[in-house]
Order: sequence, then structure tokens, then C-alpha cells
Amino acid sequence: MISGSLSSFFVMYKTIQGSFFLTFFTDQCCFKMATSTSTPTHPPVRISLIAGRYLVFDIDAVMVLRRSFGLCGVLTGTMPQNPTQNLFLSMPQELRAEEARLVVDRGAGYVADEAGDHLRLLKEMSSGVGEKRREGYLRELREKKVAAKRLFDEEKEAVRRMHEGKRGKGKKVQKVEEGGGGGGDSLFETATAVQPAPKEALPAITPSTSNAMLDPAGTSGAIADENLPEPSAFYRELNKRGYFTTPGLRFGGGYSVYPSDPFKFHAHYLSSCYGWDEKIPMLDIVTSGRLGTAVKKSFMFGAEREEEEGGKKRGEGEVRMFCVEWAGM
Amino acid sequence: MALDDDDNPALAAPPPTANTTPATPDAPAEETAEDLLEDEGAAAQDFRVFASLFKKNTHISAQTIRKGEKDFESHGTQLQADTLEQSRAAMQEVLSYTRIHNGANLVRGWYFPGWWADYEEGEEWQDSKAEDGKKERKPFGHIRDRVVILEGSSTSTQNLGRAVTGQAKDRPGRGKDWLLPEEALYLVERGSLDLWWPTKKFGEIFPPPPAASVEGEAPQPENTDVGPSTQPTGASEDEEDEYADGFPLSLQAAYALLIGLDGTRGKISLQKFQVYSNLKRCGYNVLRAPPNPPNPNQSSYRLNITIKNFFSSLLPSFTPSPPKSGPLLKPGLYRSYNQIFSQLSLIERHIPSPVLPFPLPSIAPYEIHFLVWKSSQKWTKLRHPSPDFYLSVVDAQESEVPQMEEIFGLLEQTPWAPPKREWEGNHGRLYARLKNGWRNVLMAVVDHGVINYMRWGEGGFGQERIYEMFDGRNGSYRGGKRGGRNQRDGVGGVGEVVGGVGGGGGGGGDRRKGEKYWLERWRNRWIDQL
Repeated sequence: MISGSLSSFFVMYKTIQGSFFLTFFTDQCCFKMATSTSTPTHPPVRISLIAGRYLVFDIDAVMVLRRSFGLCGVLTGTMPQNPTQNLFLSMPQELRAEEARLVVDRGAGYVADEAGDHLRLLKEMSSGVGEKRREGYLRELREKKVAAKRLFDEEKEAVRRMHEGKRGKGKKVQKVEEGGGGGGDSLFETATAVQPAPKEALPAITPSTSNAMLDPAGTSGAIADENLPEPSAFYRELNKRGYFTTPGLRFGGGYSVYPSDPFKFHAHYLSSCYGWDEKIPMLDIVTSGRLGTAVKKSFMFGAEREEEEGGKKRGEGEVRMFCVEWAGM
Repeated sequence: MALDDDDNPALAAPPPTANTTPATPDAPAEETAEDLLEDEGAAAQDFRVFASLFKKNTHISAQTIRKGEKDFESHGTQLQADTLEQSRAAMQEVLSYTRIHNGANLVRGWYFPGWWADYEEGEEWQDSKAEDGKKERKPFGHIRDRVVILEGSSTSTQNLGRAVTGQAKDRPGRGKDWLLPEEALYLVERGSLDLWWPTKKFGEIFPPPPAASVEGEAPQPENTDVGPSTQPTGASEDEEDEYADGFPLSLQAAYALLIGLDGTRGKISLQKFQVYSNLKRCGYNVLRAPPNPPNPNQSSYRLNITIKNFFSSLLPSFTPSPPKSGPLLKPGLYRSYNQIFSQLSLIERHIPSPVLPFPLPSIAPYEIHFLVWKSSQKWTKLRHPSPDFYLSVVDAQESEVPQMEEIFGLLEQTPWAPPKREWEGNHGRLYARLKNGWRNVLMAVVDHGVINYMRWGEGGFGQERIYEMFDGRNGSYRGGKRGGRNQRDGVGGVGEVVGGVGGGGGGGGDRRKGEKYWLERWRNRWIDQL
């Protein structure tokens, strides 16, 4: 199989003559560095590790990751407001392992063993050891229920008033002979409006997160950093330059790379990461290159140069990237 | 509206992000709600925070979030930053929604992971719908994996869950529906189920029916103090009672309890759950595949076939192989293409058959995980036709493109599914037949929450003899009348023929042209050689 390592591509870059364009990837598109790691102004992001997958359940955390860390993840949950569509999904958000590690490294959050932690807390709460925790959890739940109930009552009231207004107008148009009954009707209705609504049961609520159960600002169930997989230097570099990435298998690569938030921009690159001395099969470049060009993206591949003297740790070496685009000559 | 907010110090205080969104479509509705509240002072703030949490805001569609066309790259303008911020705020508002269950549609489930741990599942039988009085086998129930018991039922739980029959009459919770982890989590996620963590024993929450008197009808829970909807609320003592048996779990807790590694009892892997809920959202009916499916390709046949194969391998084949030194084709006068092409077919083709010549076990993770049906009125969880699709779920990172034996192992778990009868003998349906294959299986490749569906089919290219139609259509040759017209450069000829045949499904004209061309080309070539 025809193949070449990344260093040979560097040579090829200078002498290239072929049916595809090879460009050395510089940061011509880089426009904004993501905010630095300094003192976070948000509570630590809790990333739940459940059966080897990394999930975020808190919408505030999702927004922090999106706004300040260039992580958009993948929303995977059914949207309760509209549960029969697949176009727009809801919480939880799934992160790749390297994204989770990146958040931890930047001091923005922690990864928690969610199943273990939950089982422990729930057992405590039901055995009486965690009575205080249970009370706090239930109190918060009740507050939410009351608020929800109030909102519903207000909405009902607003709707009722609107209807009443309409009916009032209609009655004005009608003749006076109905006036007696109509007047009595409206009198009756205003009377009930003044009265407090009859006590109904509070609605039940399923909270999105277990935050009320967990210690505030605590890191219960946190997993030691070294147990988390390292992000590739390639990905770290992309993130550092402000690029957003999403899983890219659907387009035939490792990641789809967006210049910024995918809400506003199309992906520019389809990228794959290799080892510095790893042979890159020509077939990879042809298939991914062609596939990328077909969806108006260029294929980007790169690797991290591993320093021989061991002066630099993994993840700090130079990362070199190339782009391939089909020229169609 | 935004200005009004600024004027009111009570409302401007902590910015509930949802309301900082300028001019969301629901502005008028919100305004009326605010009007009602304005005189309530400080309490109103709290309310505003919560308002966005419970409102459905269904009219915030994907369009609101993806406002306008996407740009190629950032040009650093305020406009661009604003539209992005609007999108993000809209997303935040929509995703802040809290699941809420109003009295009527409240269905409660309890998490009892250990209840069926020791259950041994055998075959279950049910009365057949047919009049012959025969019993039919119930679909495999995965009872051991069922961890959530339903207290009531609603339309959304109709096709989910399973009641375990054959239990002792005094067994607590008899006749109740039990959910699999994926069913429970799907219902919680779509806001149709309130999942509770029990703090009491199973028998206390679901007391056994008092006597045989209630037998036959589904025993309702006698302890009415459990249901929050049935009890008078208000006093704090009642509130305490409400949580006497347990308390509701969050979505996060539901994920923590119900998602697990493959093969853990009472859990499901996240990838499989994502595929399950994706299909359910699309409206498909999905059931877990039984662990050891009865092989649809009966083995009694297999023996016959293998013996037959064995004998046929001893017999000389009908077409004598050409001499080693060639020529491939015996010189002579040929009156039909059949004779020529059948001599040219040297390589043995795979011939799909209803029974595979040798058994192929499925190799993990390439196994059938879900059975999928298109939505239909008739479908019920206990009575359904054979599945429309067989689905395997694999992880994009942890698996490779399957090897030949893995694909065959997977395909053998699915029944013989030849192309439709009416396609037979119709050359226009050639590609429909090829695409359909003789067996097929779907594979969902999950890449960190992004699902890619693939279809693998057992192909039968050897079944489609294109040369047969050269003779059949035109009968004998009528001289090279139009030979000249179709004399073309050979480059790209094959592609054109294929294209012509493929298009034949729609219009016969193209196809015939392709066939003609093919015919003429070959004829001229053979005439040259002879």
C-alpha cells in the first residue's frame, strides 16, 4: 500500500504536483483564543462518567462549556417539550473522553463516577444517615413544585381573562335581552377570579439534575485525573485555536472542525489524527480527501512531533497539520 | 419590552437568561404573565426564574436556534456575535425546561433492581387469537432485566413493559407492568414517567392483594396515601406522608441507575439506549432481541443441503472447464450469448440460499440487539408479526468494520428475506433486487451520540445474469442494421451499460439503448474474432 508518514508529507508539500492541493495548515482561520484557565466564575462543571461515557446534565454547565471552552459536545436526550422529533435534542450532552479531560485540565470541572456516587447517596438518604440531605432535596423539590403550580395557575388565569375579554366583547354586540343572564354570568366569574383557586394537588416534577442532592460546590464521587484518558495533542491544539469539534464519522473522519460555534458556522475541515511516524495509507487521504471535498470541507490531518530528548511532556510538542482538497483538474 | 424590564428594578435584578433574549416569539404571552405579577414585588423575581423552567415554549423551533443562514467564518461584527448569542440564549431557554407531571397524566414508576434477579425465564404461553384454541408462545420477556415497576398506565406506556404471569396469588405487586431500563429511561426522558426511589420494602409499597376476591382485575394499590394526586394536600403532615415510601429521582439519577456496561443485569449501555430512543422518537416499535434467538434458518434443512452439496461436488460440473492453455472460448459458431457467457464464468459465485451450508455463530459485538417494527395500529407488545428490521448496535470507537465471518454470523441471525416476488424476471428491477439482497441486517454505529445507520445485505450478483437478456429480448440476430450507429469508442462503455440498465426501472428507453449498445459492441467484437 502506498503510504507516507507525516514528515514525508512535509517534504511533499514543497514539491507537490498532483491532483490534489496540499496546504500546510497555518492558523489563517484562527481568530479567537478560548478564554484562559484563570479563576473560574462558575461552579465546577460536573461531568458524569456513566458506563464509560461522559455526560453533562446541567444546562448551565453546558452553556459554560459552550461559551468559554469551545466545547459543544452532542446533545443526545429526548426533548420533553417535543418528544417525537430527532432534529433537535436535549440534555444530557455527551462529551468525548478527551473533551472531559480537557475540562478537568483547565480546572473548570471534575469527572464523577455517577453510578457509584448516586447509589451511595441514595442509600444514605433512605437509611437515615443522610436524613438532612434527604430533607434538603425534598425541600428544593417542593419549592419547584410550588413555583410550577403557581405558574400554571397564573397561565390558566391569563387564558381565562383573555376568554372573558372576548366574551365580553361578543356580548356587547349581542342584544340586551340576554343581558340579565349574561350579567349574572360575568358577575359570577369575577367573583371566582377574586377567590383563591381551589386547592389542587401539586404537580409532580422530575428534576433534570441531582444537584439538590449533591453537596453544593462539592466534588463528590470525583475521579482522579490520571485515570482519565489524555486528549490527543492534535485535539488540544484545535481547541486552543478556538475551533469547535463534533464527532466526524458521519463525514468520514475523526472530527468535524468548525471555526466557531456550529450554530453559526459550517464545518471547514474533516480531520483525522495520526502518529508522527505512523504510515498514513494513501487510501485514507484519497477517500477522506474526496469525501471531504464532496461536502465542501477539506481533509485535515496532523500529528504531534514527539521530542526525542524528553524535554517536553506529551501534549506539549509541536503539532503539524496539513489540509488536502480535491482540485478536480 | 426589554426597556420596560430595565425600568422595573424588581424585575431587572438577577438576569434569568431566558428573558434577556430580545424579542423571542413568545414575547406577548410573557408580557401578560409579567403584568399579572408586577405588583407582587420580590416574589416575582423567583417566579421569573422558574417561568422559563416550566413553560413548554413549543414555538421555539430549531429555526429560532439556528437563526438565519450559517456563515463561512467569523467576520468579527457585532451582528454576527448577536445572532450567535441569540441562538445560544434560545437554546438555553429551551433546554432549561423541567419535566413536570400534571395530575391526569402522572404515571409513577419505582426502581426495584433486585426483584427479578433470581427469576428463571422459561417459555411463556398465551391464548392464541385464532379460533383453533392453540396456545402461542409469548415473546421473550427479559424479565431479569426489568427493574422499574409501573404503578398505573397511560397511553405512552401502553406498548412498553411486561406483566410477569404465573406468579403466586399472594405475591406482592402481582399483575403490574415492569419496565426494562431503556423503556423506563425513555419514558422519564420524554416526561411521561415519574421515577421514584423507594425507601421501603417492595411488599410495603405494593401490598399483596388481600384475598382472591380481586383476582382477575388488575389489583389497584390499596394504599391511596401513596399517590400524590389522590391525597388532600396543603398541610405539611400530608407532605411528609407523600415521601414516606420514597422520593422522586432526577433525570441524572435515572441515567446513573439505568445506564451500565453491556451485560450488566438491569442496565443498558448508553449507545444502545441512544439508538433505542432515536428509533422510538421516529415512531418505530422496538423490542430487545431475545438472547438466544431460535435460528430462523432451520437446521434440519441444513443437513440435507450439506449432503447435497457434498454429492454435487463429486459430480463433474455441466460446463467443462476450458483447457489450461486457453482459449477461454471454444472456437465455433455461436448463435446465442448464453453459450458464450456461460463458458466465460470461471469463478464460482456465492449463491444465497435459505439455509446456510454451515452454521456461523454471531461474534460479539456484531449481534442482533433490537427488533424493529414500523409503527402500526395492530402492533402490541405481546402480539406482533415478524420484525421489519433486525438491528445491531456497535460503538464507532470500540469496533472495526466487521470481517466477512462477522457479517455472515450477523446475517445468519436474520431470516431469509429474498427480493419481492413481483420483481422476479423483471430486468428493470435488477437493481432493486440487488439492493434488497437475500438477507439483510441494520447496523447502528454510534459515534459519541451521533448515530449512523447502515444496512448490510447478502448480495447475489451471481443470480443476476445480464447476458440472458441479450438473447431473450431480441431473439435471433437480425444483422447489424444499426451497428454503425452504435459504433463507439470502447472507453466508458461498461459504465454506460450499467447506467442504462439502472435507469431501466423508470423508463424502458434508456435501458434498451444500453442493452443494444452492449449487444452491438459484443457482437462486433465476436464477429471480428471469428
